[in-house]
Amino acid sequence: MSARHAFVLLCAASLAGIGAARADPLPPDTTYRPLPTMPLSRARALDEAQKPQVMERQRALLERRYDLSDQPRQGMMMSGGTKPVQDGVRVKLPEGSSWDALAGMAPAEIREQGLLPQGFLPLPHVKQATGGQVFPELQIDAIAQQEQRDLRRFDVEADLPVHLTPEFPPPIFLTTQPQLGDVSRGELLTIRNYYEIMNGLITPVQMEGLRLLLTPFPQEEFNQTEDRKVAQPSLGVACLDCHSNFHSNAAFHLTPDVRPQANRFRLDTTSLRGMFNQQIHGSKRSLRSIEDFTEFEQRTAYFNGDHVSATRKGVNLPDRPNQVAMMAQMQNIIDFPPAPKLDPFGRLDPALASESELAGEQVFLGKGRCAECHRPETAFMDNQMHDLKLERFYKPGQVANDMVTLPDGPIKTFTLRGIKDSPPYLHDGRLLTLADTVEYFNLVLSTRLTQDEKDDLLAYLLTL
Amino acid sequence: MTRIAAFLLGAALTAAPALAQIGNPAGMAPDTRLDEPGKPAPHQTNTQDRLFAQLAAAGGLAEVQLGEMARDKAEAESVRDFAAMMVEDHGAANARLAELAEAVRIPLPQEPAPDQQALRERLEAAERTAFDLAYVRAQVVEHQKTAQLLAWEVGQGQDGEIQRFAAEQLPVVLGHLEQAQRLNAELSGAGGPAR
Ligand code: HEC
Ligand code: HEC
Repeated sequence: MSARHAFVLLCAASLAGIGAARADPLPPDTTYRPLPTMPLSRARALDEAQKPQVMERQRALLERRYDLSDQPRQGMMMSGGTKPVQDGVRVKLPEGSSWDALAGMAPAEIREQGLLPQGFLPLPHVKQATGGQVFPELQIDAIAQQEQRDLRRFDVEADLPVHLTPEFPPPIFLTTQPQLGDVSRGELLTIRNYYEIMNGLITPVQMEGLRLLLTPFPQEEFNQTEDRKVAQPSLGVACLDCHSNFHSNAAFHLTPDVRPQANRFRLDTTSLRGMFNQQIHGSKRSLRSIEDFTEFEQRTAYFNGDHVSATRKGVNLPDRPNQVAMMAQMQNIIDFPPAPKLDPFGRLDPALASESELAGEQVFLGKGRCAECHRPETAFMDNQMHDLKLERFYKPGQVANDMVTLPDGPIKTFTLRGIKDSPPYLHDGRLLTLADTVEYFNLVLSTRLTQDEKDDLLAYLLTL
Repeated sequence: MTRIAAFLLGAALTAAPALAQIGNPAGMAPDTRLDEPGKPAPHQTNTQDRLFAQLAAAGGLAEVQLGEMARDKAEAESVRDFAAMMVEDHGAANARLAELAEAVRIPLPQEPAPDQQALRERLEAAERTAFDLAYVRAQVVEHQKTAQLLAWEVGQGQDGEIQRFAAEQLPVVLGHLEQAQRLNAELSGAGGPAR
């Protein structure tokens, strides 16, 4: 620091009156959740009447941003073999533009001309003002049938067409029983059937962990108070209501990590496969262990970053040495789906892979620069968070369906193992296919891949 | 404005349903008059709208006053230019907010908040480069607070027109914030904005 700078800083510090809080704080509900003011029965009637309009507005936004059609990729199924992988780039280009033209432009040019494809922007929740957990129909139906527990909200429903979400129920692979392959029997694990399905496969400790992961506790919109969005006072939500069979059913929520409400971004449920290899958890929170995540998730009512309102609804405080450890041990034996073409280093076996897949691996390791963060030797992660700085390409602060579009900041590198099983992509699910992710990273990383390179890279991602 | 023009403007605003905010009815007052289920009749404010309008108006006044001071007093041309832009942008926003508040009878403050007045006094006492830096740093803080306040109104308010106003201001205010951060970097050697 120059002497002039130092002097100026000193003066500025004294001028700004540092230390004393002289102003009123911002209003309390910039941080805290307000209590309802409308009687529940009336709020519910209004919510129900308004729901078609809410869903229509979201559908219109999705249609503007994406091609939502059902276009399976020939001969490519998810790991359980019950659902095809979707093909093609689905993010819509601005009129008159092309992917190559965009990739050839400087970020500032794209920003100034407003040319960033809208589908690359953060994806709003179906109802930002309320937010909260939204479960897909398949999960709602399965839980209603097996447990007579109601996961249906009266104000909103899931917004993505079912062909763009993971297969349901997804297969389960155990690190402790690799020889068995998928042990799910094609069933969704619930509190009713878990014992029959898992007995003989897991330890007593893991079994107790599993029971807890399937036990519902009151959570944000699903509780017994008037501050809820489910018709009857609710038994609550279980961990595996979102992480179906330890994977994801594309249930979503708003991030706990940001306030005020309009700034909170959407979170697509992550898979719990391969947690054993992961050292930071949560897209932003960077919790350092599966135990921390499990304990905290339960304490703060799954994702609201709000222990205050969680406490009011009846919080479950799992005890760390016993319950938390057992829940963690169960999660830690969930494996990725098999990737038969990968060798022990996470590299393609040339005897098994196609030419295009091998060429794609070279792009991944080389020109595409993917492996600088998705490191093959550490399960295609680096246990780091990175700021991709998408806001170089757009002007922050625009409001879309009541969500303020803001820079993402640093986000955890997700694994790419088993990636074809977990659409939609990125932390908020803003990208619908792997082909979309290739275009996204090609633009964000300025790698200028050719069409052949993109095709090969995609073929490679599908082998992981 | 003639009655006809006012009518047309009103029609244009209501003809944009895509822009209407969809709030959480649980947070509405029980006596809220509704146009359609869950959609408050126009010109019906909640506590948040009213507090927002008052805080934003006080902040806007402070921006114009401080901007006028800095436009004349700042040493660096870049700071003077920024200050002139504050006078212009916030002046226009204040006028618009006053119209919106008038329509729903929200009394607006006629002067800045006490902390903003105290800031003004501190700035009046400062000279030359120390003034520039103090002004710019205060601008960073004021715009940070305003950005959070605007996002709060977007999420928690109820009067669609005031919420739209907040939504329109937000990118502008974030733009100002970025520029103030740049000026701070230029003047003090501090790190600039992320981008
Ligand atoms: C409402 C749906 C939902 C419920 C219920 C839920 N989760 Fe999650 N889970 C998510 C989402 C969404 C994320 C991503 C969070 C993020 O990115 O910050 C996540 C992330 C995680 C992670 C970190 C994964 C990673 O890759 O960083 C773990 C571990 C986890 N959940 C375990 C649990 C446990 C244990 C419970 C029960 C106490 C639970 N979850 C309940 C949706 C849910
Ligand atoms: C600078 C580090 C970095 C590089 C280089 C990188 N990624 Fe990523 N990747 C990330 C981060 C961080 C995320 C999470 C971003 C988010 O959710 O907003 C991610 C997410 C993804 C996802 C979505 C994962 C999921 O579960 O939703 C895919 C697919 C992906 N990357 C593919 C690629 C490909 C292909 C390349 C090379 C063209 C690449 N990445 C290069 C850091 C990187």
